[in-house]
Amino acid sequence: MEGEQRRLLVRFEGEDLGHGAHVVLPRLSLALHQGERIALLGQSGAGKSTLLAELRRRLGGEAAWCPQHHGLVPQLAVYHNVFMGRLPEYSALANLWNLVRPLRGPWREVAALCDELGLTGLMRRPVGELSGGQRQRVAIARALYQARPLFLGDEPVASVDPHQALRLLDLIDSRHTTSVVALHQRELALSHFDRVWGLRDGRLAIDARADELSLAELDALYPDAAEPAGSPPPGNDGAPLPSPEALPCARGRP
Amino acid sequence: MSDGLVDSRPPSARNWWRGGSPGLRLARHSLGLVALAVLLVPFADLAIHTRDPWGELGRMAAGLAWPAWGALESPFTALGLTVAVALWGTLAGVVLGFPLALLFARSRLVRAGCAFVRAIHELFWALLFLQVFGLSALTALAALAIPYAGIFAKVYAEILEQTPRAPRDALPPGSGRLARFVYAELPLAWSQLAAYTRYRFECGLRASVLLGFVGLPTLGFHLETAFREGRYHEAGALMWLFYLLIASLPWWDHKRLIPLLLVGGAWLLGPWPSVDGALLWRFVAEDIWPAALLAGDWAGVLEWLARIPSLGPAIGNTLLLGLLGTVGALAVALLLWPLASRHFGNRGTRLAGHGVLIFLRSTPELMLAFVFLLLLGPSLLPAWLALALHNGALIAFLVARHADAIKPGMPGLPASGRLAYELLPRVYPGLLALLYYRAEVILRETAILGMLGVATLGFYIEEGFDYLMFDVAFFLLLVTAALNIAVDALSRRLRPREAPLDDPCIR
Repeated sequence: MEGEQRRLLVRFEGEDLGHGAHVVLPRLSLALHQGERIALLGQSGAGKSTLLAELRRRLGGEAAWCPQHHGLVPQLAVYHNVFMGRLPEYSALANLWNLVRPLRGPWREVAALCDELGLTGLMRRPVGELSGGQRQRVAIARALYQARPLFLGDEPVASVDPHQALRLLDLIDSRHTTSVVALHQRELALSHFDRVWGLRDGRLAIDARADELSLAELDALYPDAAEPAGSPPPGNDGAPLPSPEALPCARGRP
Repeated sequence: MSDGLVDSRPPSARNWWRGGSPGLRLARHSLGLVALAVLLVPFADLAIHTRDPWGELGRMAAGLAWPAWGALESPFTALGLTVAVALWGTLAGVVLGFPLALLFARSRLVRAGCAFVRAIHELFWALLFLQVFGLSALTALAALAIPYAGIFAKVYAEILEQTPRAPRDALPPGSGRLARFVYAELPLAWSQLAAYTRYRFECGLRASVLLGFVGLPTLGFHLETAFREGRYHEAGALMWLFYLLIASLPWWDHKRLIPLLLVGGAWLLGPWPSVDGALLWRFVAEDIWPAALLAGDWAGVLEWLARIPSLGPAIGNTLLLGLLGTVGALAVALLLWPLASRHFGNRGTRLAGHGVLIFLRSTPELMLAFVFLLLLGPSLLPAWLALALHNGALIAFLVARHADAIKPGMPGLPASGRLAYELLPRVYPGLLALLYYRAEVILRETAILGMLGVATLGFYIEEGFDYLMFDVAFFLLLVTAALNIAVDALSRRLRPREAPLDDPCIR
């Protein structure tokens, strides 16, 4: 297979992943090679975020990161939220000054990025005033602004419509050689990615090339969806609708 | 309120209070508190020492109804000074407290230090600094800035700790500590920090008025003089001035106006005292410590301790008044909150209820106690009334606001049913939680009421300063602080967990 000639980035061999003593993914075996585009599927709570967090930890500075529910600061402007992708590259003083008066170089770069993502003219707008889809794009802009070879995204296209999702994934692909993206849209996983990792009940149920898989095989990852129609699952898994949790951080405390 | 009974028979009358439902637990809890207070009431001196309290009250009411505006001497200087002290004192508290807030979670020493400075009332700090800086703005500013630094450190730290973590976790690895703070923590906490600072400034305004009672020429000084000399119409005018100042706050504490007020205020604060370093050092290193302790003579220290006048009764009175005040506030709150709630009465009664609550909660305890003291003479009674009315009204106001947000599930119930079945079970846990928050404040106020002549710790502290027995006064201050810290810890343990109160602005 072509993947074998490519550089190995991460390999898990029978490892337990979780938070502290709480193991979410026991005895996980898995490899990620350079150049792969991987869709990560599974129900909410299947361990997608745990796996992505561990990948992020191991890949360190190589990976750009787009977290679930965006993790944006609603009080800051779009520009500042995107700029946060490169905080470590500037001195503390420059970072402080940038809050008072945007630095000229980054401002131009962020403006170009915002144009591509359809956020033109919103650079000075606080993120808290944007719609769910706009926030999603700001979160992606922040990840793109990091300019890393790898992209790790935890449901980065959960709150946009299917056409936009496709466009955003294309943009992500054009700027990264390798990507691992958690998502719920099974059709998109088959049409747009090389490989699918499917998690179910804490184990890797599917690890195969996308062109060898069918939608029916992916459906097996969502046992709740197999219930008779009419009583939709509470987590609205598998539906490309913006989930209410995806609209984050009301002002003030949670 | 009894639930969880599967038995078809109604529970027998004898066992009505058994059971583990939250309602019953809170009821037992409150009744225990009331029983303790009733048991201890005989030990309190509640005598009325004046001959004609009602006549005096009538004259005071007449003074408030017909204020003598013309008789006021330079009211604007007093007003200006009151605002300037509150503004600069709060600002100094922020400047000192903010860095401490960043260390708060990490350093036990900082937490202990902040708890200590918080536990001593602004007026006691003023009495202490009065000995060193004299009657000057420096005394006033330090008296506000030091306890406020402790309060800001604690509340700011709590607010910062509760900001959402997600933005911090999303930052790329290697982002500096400072950058992380200014990008992903401070903006999230900003509006709450600002709201709390504004609230603390309002508290500072009241404290600044009260500083007049130790002799600093703020509004309180003129008030005390007018009241003591029986010039009630002038006192009435000053009271109105005070209420106007508090009520007009939303119009003038605008963020654009604050720098102007700061500059203008700085001009009013002078002249500054010349601080004698040697004298200051002698005060801190020698005067406030017992001579025997400095000499290392332990037998002498014990003898010194035994000679402190009525230490036991003073502590007893302070705790007793604190307990009575807390229970009184509970009773007042329970009685008053329906008056201001949209669920009861008509427009007229609600308006009157709101008026009473605003009047009682915006008048500081010390001022209320002072007025009652003139009416009733120096016993625990005026202090008790003042504590119960002020704190009860404050809690009632917040409970009424809470109740107004509730939509009764069963429309058309009679008022009594609405109160007992719909609203009280819902608001009571919050009411009790508020009461426990206030218990610490009540105890702190209790000590301070001693300065008016009630035999609590404050009385002996002021006496100590008056007779230049700085060592005794300072020791009693430490005792007061220790009592406050102990009661704070106790009330935190007893506080009902059903009603977490997130908003720091109601403490």
